[in-house]
Order: sequence, then structure tokens, then C-alpha cells
Amino acid sequence: MIQLEHISKWYNAGNARSFVLKDINLTIKEGEFLSIMGPSGSGKSSLLNIIGMLDAPSEGSYYFMDQSVFTLKEKQRTELYKHNIGFIFQAYHLIDELTVYENIETPLLYQDIKGAERKAMVGDMLDRFSMVGKKDLFPAQLSGGQQQLVGIARALIAKPKVLLADEPTGNLNSKQGEEIMELFKKINSEDGVTIIQVTHSEKNAEYGSRRIDLLDGRIEQHIKEGQSL
Amino acid sequence: MYKNYLKVALRSMWKQKSFSAINIIGLATGLCCFLLIVLYVLDELGYDKYNKKAERIYRINSDIRFGGSNLHFTQTPDMMGEVLKKDYPEIETYTRIFNNSGNKLVKKGTEYINEPNVAHVDSTFFQVFTLPVIAGNTRTALDEPNTVVVTKSAALKYFGSTDVIGKTIETNDNTKTSYKITAVIEDVPKASHFRFDFFFSMKNVGYKWGRHLSNNFHTYLLLKPGVDAGSFEKKAMNEYVVNYILPEAKQFMDIKSMDDFTKAGNKLEYSLMPLTKLHLYSDRNFEITPPGNIQYIYIFGAVALFILLIACVNFMNLTTARSANRAKEVGVRKVLGTQRKFLITQFLSESTLMAIISMLIALLLAWAILPLFNDVANKTITFSQLASPVLLPFLILLPFIVGLLAGSYPAFYLSSFKPIVVLKGRLENKRSGLRSALVVFQFATSIVLIIGTLIVFRQLNYIQTRDIGYKKEQVLVVNDVYALQNNVDAFKNGVLQLPGVKSGTISSYLPVSNSSRSDNAFSKEAVMDSRNGFNMQTWAIDYDYLKTMGMEVVKGRNFSKDFGADSSSVIINEATAKILGYDNPLGQRLYRNDNDSQPTTYTIIGVVKNFNYESLKQSIGPLSFFLEKNPGLASFKIATTDLPRLLASIEAKWKALAPGMPYSYRFLDESFSEMYREEQRVGRIALLFSIIAIIIACLGLFGLAAFVAEQRTKEIGIRKVLGASVSGLVALLSKDFVRLVAISFVIAAPLAWLAMHKWLQDFEYRITISWTVFLLAGLMALAIAIITISFQAIKAAVANPVKNLRSE
Repeated sequence: MIQLEHISKWYNAGNARSFVLKDINLTIKEGEFLSIMGPSGSGKSSLLNIIGMLDAPSEGSYYFMDQSVFTLKEKQRTELYKHNIGFIFQAYHLIDELTVYENIETPLLYQDIKGAERKAMVGDMLDRFSMVGKKDLFPAQLSGGQQQLVGIARALIAKPKVLLADEPTGNLNSKQGEEIMELFKKINSEDGVTIIQVTHSEKNAEYGSRRIDLLDGRIEQHIKEGQSL
Repeated sequence: MYKNYLKVALRSMWKQKSFSAINIIGLATGLCCFLLIVLYVLDELGYDKYNKKAERIYRINSDIRFGGSNLHFTQTPDMMGEVLKKDYPEIETYTRIFNNSGNKLVKKGTEYINEPNVAHVDSTFFQVFTLPVIAGNTRTALDEPNTVVVTKSAALKYFGSTDVIGKTIETNDNTKTSYKITAVIEDVPKASHFRFDFFFSMKNVGYKWGRHLSNNFHTYLLLKPGVDAGSFEKKAMNEYVVNYILPEAKQFMDIKSMDDFTKAGNKLEYSLMPLTKLHLYSDRNFEITPPGNIQYIYIFGAVALFILLIACVNFMNLTTARSANRAKEVGVRKVLGTQRKFLITQFLSESTLMAIISMLIALLLAWAILPLFNDVANKTITFSQLASPVLLPFLILLPFIVGLLAGSYPAFYLSSFKPIVVLKGRLENKRSGLRSALVVFQFATSIVLIIGTLIVFRQLNYIQTRDIGYKKEQVLVVNDVYALQNNVDAFKNGVLQLPGVKSGTISSYLPVSNSSRSDNAFSKEAVMDSRNGFNMQTWAIDYDYLKTMGMEVVKGRNFSKDFGADSSSVIINEATAKILGYDNPLGQRLYRNDNDSQPTTYTIIGVVKNFNYESLKQSIGPLSFFLEKNPGLASFKIATTDLPRLLASIEAKWKALAPGMPYSYRFLDESFSEMYREEQRVGRIALLFSIIAIIIACLGLFGLAAFVAEQRTKEIGIRKVLGASVSGLVALLSKDFVRLVAISFVIAAPLAWLAMHKWLQDFEYRITISWTVFLLAGLMALAIAIITISFQAIKAAVANPVKNLRSE
């Protein structure tokens, strides 16, 4: 489903290139739950942003569902992106001015889905995350865990094939974190959504079906399933 | 989707109350000014357009230069209309207005009321101008002598009803005359260059009819449809001079041809002025109502536009400055799959929403201050004029235009954020070049307005204090003394006996505009020709005139009872002396040519110092005084500490000598100021709008300063911990803005100089623009800016650094 070939990203610092990612080759199959690990500055988030099409590599090619992402036009890329990818952030990034309900609804607005249908979809999502009672609250009125639940609900509402999570539990306490990870696992196994998460925590990485470690922009090892690239 | 935009817009507006308030107040104030000026400009532009045939109506102007005097009149000879109509089939009809006799006293019961808005007109008047009839037939109404057409208000005022056909009114202007009302018309629209209430028959004008050399009638031509006014004018105006004026002039003047006349530096020209241009494009003497000035329409139009732009700029600046707060939302929305165009739409709809709210507030504001504005601008504009079919669609469209204009930059700027950049952390809010440019634009505009206002007021002050050759202060003028009939002298002598009255004179000639005027052709030698002849003002005065007016005799003497033969003596002004060119003009002869073959001879007995008898926009021409009775006005030089008592005593004398006649008075210096009413009005409006422009610009600056202070909270905290003083921090925060104001000044000063230099050219007597004006304006702008900024800067500088640093 996702295929990265010779992906590199660098910044020019004086005469030398400062590499963020260096020659990354990675294939992710549909239904996988991949954890990307590594210390600060190892390029985890950069890799996730490239997979999420938020950023372009300096070199290399990227195929998403057999389409070469970075040769597509901006508009086609947005189409591909908004129907297939959901994003979850460490800092939740909810829109402060919108209620829980409206935050979850927002992606649907960008996909031209009719009002009645939107209502049904958001309703389902609220039910699923048991947040019906909180639907009219604003983000500031929720705890961090609850905000992240809204973030996840929002990411899932458009039924994406891939869920990208950048340190989704980083701002949460361990209990809340566990709940979120359980939820991820459930989404992965029940809905068949491919999940790619960036994390610091060994424990969180355990939830995934596969794990890669980054160090200074390179994939260092492939643990589990003994895959080699 | 739009519901979502609207919700976010309203909520983010509410969340940032102070920013939104500044934004909305600024925009609303700007829009309000804009609305008021648009109303004003439309009102001025709409003059005389109520006439259905306006496009075909032309008035004849006359330009005469004869021996140094340069005259621009709105009047023509009495015969001009008639002979033109006879000679040219292009003319459908013509009509004339005669209002040289000024006001009339009209009898109501036993009292007389002074009616200033009266005129004698031809019976064709109502065929040319569109004045709807209520009763009677205006086609024939004025065919007979002793007939009058009155307006509805006049009928109601005198009879309490409009059913007044056949009733008579009695007037008194030296003599008593009765007029029969033959028609009643609707009131003349306010936007008309004449606003008469009484239209008397032309046949009652006492005049030496049938002449081509005296210009006393406003003549209007109604051209037939399709006639090209330009080519008609070229042909007819010139032919009229050659065919009618020249033959008449030859009778008493040694003149062979018009060429001969013009070669001597003289000029006699008639021209057509379209009716719809009379109000704004005329700078002539003897307009029926004081005209406006197209230049001011342009100036105000520009000011309106600039104020609106300043307000829009505020909006742009504040919105983009606030972008850090919206950056996250932009990032999130982009990650959620929005396209840039949706974001642009979103921000544009937000700004449009603000603009609509501002527009509503502006309408409310305009409604509230319209009475005040009318007062300042000397207008009677009603709020309902905004709902005119021309203006209404524009007004509805305006908030959208403003919304798009003001929101465009923020929309494109905000929507360009890269999501990963803004979501990662706080957005770097770099010092934006465009934002600085916008601030410079605002302040440059404000400084131009300040300089302009200062110069207008300096010129007005100069007019008030300049030595104009006579003493306008403490001269009381009693109007319409002809109503005293044989008691004029008794009245004058009676008033002179009152304590506090120093001298008095009877003459309707005053050295201020809109007083009696007459002029005649004179010559240095007995036989006038193109070279020795000149046109000169002839004022009829008495022995005490010069003393009362405080005019100075520089050579020779005043009229005096000690010299018996002063009835053929003349006192000239310095301008005349210069034209005559004698080393000693005293005792020299002057010949007055009253269109008769035999000139009258006068002896020069004195020269009076030049004085400004018209506004300072005009130069001083040749003028002469004659000893003649002219019972129009009585002027008294007074010196009293108890003015009310003196006024009461004078009124009592009047009442005793002229029972039933209306008593009114004025002060000469008031009439003097009247001449500059247009300039004073412009000065006041300019002042008003400069203040508003400054306030709006300061609102923007205030918001920006607040924003910058907020942005640099952490920096301020760190500097404070490191030992920076409050004053040092205030200076740090203010420095950038002060620099912008300085740049604005550099841009504004030359622009203002150019504009005001041009404005001053209107005045024959004017100030030179001094550098102190610029210094003052620059300092004012700087001071205002610093006060505005320091408000925020001090707030930020005195805040507890620990608190600021902790929040990071």
C-alpha cells in the first residue's frame, strides 16, 4: 500500500548537507500497525510527514496505493490524501472555536458530504467513543485524554485507509495513554485501518505489529517478523 | 460549510473581543465618514438636475476686461436673449432673472417682512425650468405687469393656504407696489442655484430697456434638442458682440472695430455655461446663490476614499498580525484535507461579516451625527437620501467590496501557511514589510490631512488679520433703511446722538461681497477710445463714509461740506491712480460715459488707500467714490461696553421712525467672514476628517502595538530579568513604530506641500507655506503615535517577568 524508495531529505547548512532522512526504503502493507521509534532528532516525524504528504522529500519516490505521490498535481494529491489518510497529533490540534461535534464534522465538510449524512456519521462516531454527552463542549472544557479521543474520532470520521499518529500519547498520563493504544489496536484489527505511529515509548511500540527504529535519518533495524529490506 | 465558517468567524471574533472591537470600530468610523462624504458630494453634484430640460439649458456668462479692471459676470444686457432668439433658430426659448434690487419688504397684515429670495423673471421662466404648478397657469402667469408667482411656502406664510390665486400682495422697495398672485408652484428644490419664493413680473422692473452695454440680467437659453452647444456658442456669442454691442458703443466711443478694442488689451466675451455646471464650476461674481467648488468635491472624494482605505488597512494589519492565533486552525484544517481556496473563502467571509457589522454600525453612526455634519457642512441632507436608487445598490455592495478588499491580504497570507510548520510550534511572526508599508500609508495620509488642515486655518487666520484697508470691527450695519423713507437722516442723526456711537454713514455700498455694486466706463480724456477707457466701480457715499469705515485718504481730501461743489468731485483708490498714471492725480479730470453721447466730467479730489472690497481671492480693481444719496444701508462705528443696550436704543429709534417696517442689523465683520464661508466650511470639514483619519490610524497602531508587545512578551521578560529598565523597554518597543512615522512624514510632506500650494493659488492674497507647519504636523503625528504605542509598551514593560516566562 505504501512504498518508499530511496527517500532522503536534507537541509543545506553552509556547504554541507544536513540529512534528516537518508535513503529510506520502506514498504507498508494494508492492515499493518507500524511503530516508528527512535531518539529525538532521528527523523521520525519527518518520515511521518512525508508519508502523510504534508512534506516532500528532497529525493526519492513514494507510491501510495500504486500512485506516485509526488508526481501528482496538488489537487489530485489533496483528493488522494483526504479520502485515505487520517492524522492524529501529540497536541491534539483541535480547533478551539469549534465544539466537539463540529470538530469531528469538519473533515466531512471538505468532502462535500450532505448534511443529513454528516449528521449520521458524526452521531455514529460520538456513540462509538461514548462522547454523545460532550458533543457541545469546546476543546478547552475537556481533559487531554478526551481531547485526543476527539482527535481520533475526527481522524476516523472520513473512513481513511491509513491512520498516522505522531506521538499520540505524548501529552497524556499512562492510563489515558493505554486506553488510546487499546483503541488503536481495536481500530487496526476490527476496521482493518493501517496505522503508522511515531512513538518514544517501548510500551506503546509493543501494540504494533511491526516496528522500525530510526537513528540519524536511517532505518537501523527491523525487529519482529525478521523482515529485511 | 458556510454555516461552519460563520460559526468559527463569530466565535473567534468573540474570543478576541478587543481586537474585534478595534477592527469594527475602525472600519465603522471609516465607513461612516465615507457615507457622509458621499452624501455631501452627491448633494453637490445634484444641483439643478431636477430640471427635465437641464441638458439643454445654458446660462450666458460675460467676461469683460477694460482698462485694468477684470470682470467675470453672470449677467448680460437685457436685449441679449431677445435678439439671439430672433437671430438663431437653434434657440427654443430664453428667459431672464433680474434680482439686482436684492430683497423686498412684503406686507403681511400691518407689518412688513423682509423677503430675501425674490426676483423678477420673464413669463418663459416656467417653460425653461421644471417647477411644478399647484394652482394657476404658469405659461401666462407673468405676462402682465403687477403679477407674481409664489411658492407653496410663501403662500402658506402669508395666507395660510395655497388657494390664493387672485389675491394681492404689497411690496416695498423704495416704492410700494401691489402684485396679483396668478400662480402657486411647489417650493424650489434645495439643490437649485436659485431658491426664490416670489417670482415677480419682469414688466415691473424700472430699467432703461433696449440696451446692449449694461449687464444686469441673468439670461438662460433653452436650446432645441440636438443643437451642438459648442459650435452654436462660437458663432452666436461673437456675432452678438459685433452686430449689437459694437454699433452701440460707437455712439459715444472712438472705436473702429473689435480688433481695435482687443489690441489695446481689452476683452468683451460672452460664453455659455451648462446649467448643471453652474453650482460647481462657477467662480463668478453675482451668482444668485453662493456656488460650490468642484475642487472641493475632488478633495472630499479623495479624503473619503483615503479614510476608507485607512480603515481597510487597519483591518488587514490587525488580521494578519493576529495570524499566529489563527495559524493553528489553518494547519489543522489543511491536515484535515481542505484546499487553499476553501481557506481563502473562509477568511474572506469572516472579513465580509465584519464589514457588514461595521456597515450597520456606520449607518447608525451616520444617522446619529448627520445633524452635526449638516451644521458643519451647511447642508440640509436627510438620511433618507442614502436610499436613493443610485446609492442603495452601492451601499449594499459596499460591505462586500470592503470585506474583500480588507480581507484579501490576510486571506492569502493565512492560507499560505505550511501545516507542519505551524503545527509544530508557534509561528515565527516576522516583521512584515507589507505591514510596515500599510502603517506608513496610514500615517502619510494622516499627516497630509494634518498639514492641509493647518494651512487652511492659517490662511483663514491670515484673511481675518490682514490689513484689508478698512476697519471691519465694531461696525454695525442696519439693513433696508429705505423703509424709513423721508426719515433716513432723522434716523442717522438720532442714532449718532446715542452714547457709544462714534460716526455713521448712509450707503448701500459695503466693502464685502454681496453688497451693492455698480460700475461704469470712464476715460482719461473727453473722447473715450480703446486705450484711454477703463471700467471702474462707482460707489455712492456720503461725507462720513470713509471715517466710519476707517479708510485712509493718502492724498488730497475727503468730501467735505466746506467745499460746495463736491457733487462733481471724485475720490479714487490707489489702483485707479495707478491706471491713470499721473504724478499728482489731484485736480485731474475723469470722464464718465453713461452710454450717452455727452460724457460727465469729474475732478479728482482725493486718493484713498487700496482696500479689499471683494474676497481676498480677487485683486483690487479701479474704484471711485461719488457724493450721492444712496439710502440702502446705515453703518455706524460703535465703541461701547453695553452693546445690548445700544442695540435696543437703535431699534427703538427705528420703530419710532418706521412703524411696521422690519428692523434687522448685522455687523460688518460678520459679513466679511461670510465671504469665506466656503473656506471655513472646508476648513471645518477637513479638521473633522483629519481627526477621524488620525483616530482610525491610531486604532490600528494601538492594535499592532498590542500585538507586538504580546509577541515579544518572552523577550521582554528575559530582558527584564537581565536588568532592563521600564523606560528602556518602552523605547525598544516604540522604536520601530517611530521609524515608520518618520518615513510617513518624509512621504507626506512634499505631497501636502504640492496640494496646498495649488489650493492657495485660488487666493490673490495668501500666506506662504512655512516650514513650521510641517514641523508642527510631524510632531503632532509623532506625539500621537508615541502616546498610542506607549500605552501598550508600558503595559508590557511593567508586567511581572516571572509570570511571562512561566507561560512559555
